[in-house]
Amino acid sequence: MRTVYKVLAYVVAAEVVIQAMAMVFAVAGLGKWVEDGGVLDQSVMESEDSVFPEVVGFVIHGMNGMMVIPAVALILLVVSFFAKFPGAVKWAGLVLLLVALQITLGLLGHEIPALGALHGLNALLLFSAAVYSARRVPPTAGAAATGSEARIRASA
Amino acid sequence: MSRTGRRRLHLGRQRLRLAVACGATALIVGLLGVFWYNSRLPASYSVMDMGHAEYGGGPIGSMPHDGHDGHAGGEEPAADGAASAVPALTADQGGAPDVEMTLVARAERFQPPSGDWVDGYTLNGQSPGPVLRVTAGELVQVRLENESVAEGVTLHWHGLELPNADDGVAGVTQDAVAIGAEHTYRFVADQPGTFWYHSHQLSHEQVRRGVLGALVVLPQQATSPDADPPDADPADADVVALVHRYGGKSTVNGHRDDLRIPAAPNQRVRVRVINTENGPMSAWVGGASFRLVAVDGRDLHEPTLLEGTAVLVTAGGRADLEVTMPTDGSGVRVQLGGSAVVLGPASAEAAEVPRPAETVDLLSYGTPADLGIDWGTPDRRFDYDIGRRPGFLDGRPGMWWTINGRLYPEVPAYMVAEGDIVVVHIANHSGEVHPMHLHGHHAVVLRRDGEPATGSPWWVDSLNVSDGESYDLGFVATNPGIWMYHCHNLPHASEGLVAHLMYEGVTTPFVLGGPAGNEPE
Repeated sequence: MRTVYKVLAYVVAAEVVIQAMAMVFAVAGLGKWVEDGGVLDQSVMESEDSVFPEVVGFVIHGMNGMMVIPAVALILLVVSFFAKFPGAVKWAGLVLLLVALQITLGLLGHEIPALGALHGLNALLLFSAAVYSARRVPPTAGAAATGSEARIRASA
Repeated sequence: MSRTGRRRLHLGRQRLRLAVACGATALIVGLLGVFWYNSRLPASYSVMDMGHAEYGGGPIGSMPHDGHDGHAGGEEPAADGAASAVPALTADQGGAPDVEMTLVARAERFQPPSGDWVDGYTLNGQSPGPVLRVTAGELVQVRLENESVAEGVTLHWHGLELPNADDGVAGVTQDAVAIGAEHTYRFVADQPGTFWYHSHQLSHEQVRRGVLGALVVLPQQATSPDADPPDADPADADVVALVHRYGGKSTVNGHRDDLRIPAAPNQRVRVRVINTENGPMSAWVGGASFRLVAVDGRDLHEPTLLEGTAVLVTAGGRADLEVTMPTDGSGVRVQLGGSAVVLGPASAEAAEVPRPAETVDLLSYGTPADLGIDWGTPDRRFDYDIGRRPGFLDGRPGMWWTINGRLYPEVPAYMVAEGDIVVVHIANHSGEVHPMHLHGHHAVVLRRDGEPATGSPWWVDSLNVSDGESYDLGFVATNPGIWMYHCHNLPHASEGLVAHLMYEGVTTPFVLGGPAGNEPE
């Protein structure tokens, strides 16, 4: 379970990286498309057609952010119940909380762009929390093998 | 404490911890499971049983909407026997049609005039479909044949206030027309104006990929010399500008390049702009001033001359721009988002102009006219409050639209009786714009964000409701039936932003899903 916990926490961190890359990829593609004569208006933004190829970045960002990352964070929390090391639940809970905050900020950023800036800041917090959660997992094999004393210490 | 005692305590704690972990997991998974399970839609259901009825302060009467206590309204006529089924709501008196047309729907790869190959749907081998030009009062008969659209197809006459049976909504007013089958629409087009037609079966997919066309109802020409002079001078030009995106590229009437329309100096040109897209579009004119003479097929009262001002045309909406050509023979550019109509002599240049910063505000454009309706004491007052929240929609997790706080299918059925004066307060807190389309009726804008309308009566069938905005709309319930009231950002409709306006005693035999596979959105 500790290994699963570790992997899931790293997956959340990696997903944050993908999110940042997808967004810049899409915005850069949009900029190039406009420079090449494309006209951006609301009907383009609402269009389901990919008017420029990098638009896939927006799609990835949306699907990852609204479905994949919350699902992974939720599974991380469930796994944390069984991970049996101090602070496992606390940190998984924090990661999930930051994910929920991130989605909220992302959606509210459509109305209040300044919250979009906080979305960017919170991404770094989420990344840090996910990496820290993964790194603070105690080694699995050692703890399991060295007998009850070690286990008692680990669970204290 | 002894060694055994410590071990026992430790084991006890471990068991307790495991039990708590299992309990917490069961709670999370169980709750999600219940939400997921409850959100699934049955394979077939009637709009009559869907959601919850709202009566808006009016009498509940003998209305058959019984979603919550499980009566199948569709099969149970109202107690007073006044119930009528949707297919009976027709104005068809028989007789020979004035305009007759057959439209054959096909799924195929085709080339709109822009030349790009599109994998989609055509009507009579083309998309956009043929422009239907009829004169007010004419009996129109359109036979829709489905040659190869696997999911079935329908035609909805967007903006026309037709009898309910001809509204063309799969699962509400008819079954989707299967391959090899046909459906005939017969109606009198009695309101002059700019409209369009499109499929209302899987509309978020079929409209985007080509099942659409323009419909223009021209005013009747005065026949006797004593009558008022006709509005349309034969010398005037009349241009349809249907904006649609094929394969991601913006077009006018299917043309990607500027659509060039010959126009002589001093000639009046009416450009009928139709936005078939899912988001609002700006229209503006370079090289001449113009008037916004009609919105959504309704003339505006005493529209003033506009210059350096853009017009917002919402998704599904129409705007008729009247341009008087400059005397010096120069060209005029009517920019429609990313595409344009260029009016003038063949040689005339019309330079691109950036979008003006200003947008005409229809709340104060033109001058008021008395409608003779007292909106102050309506028979019914409804709320249509649009929000967004996480949840499950038919088993799919996501951020979904809500109406009055609830997710589809727990959407309102706005119940009215014929003759009711109805006021709808529509408010949007969902973070995105919604072009709200009411079938079968036009509603007049009374207030925006509480500020009363001071301009021309502003009648709409498709209203742009931006995030944070609210509108009060008024209409008179004069067209019995079951009418969709939905977002015309069609993917939003497929995500559950759909309510219904239902008349007392009207029932529908059609179901969503079912053997015909009806999926109106």
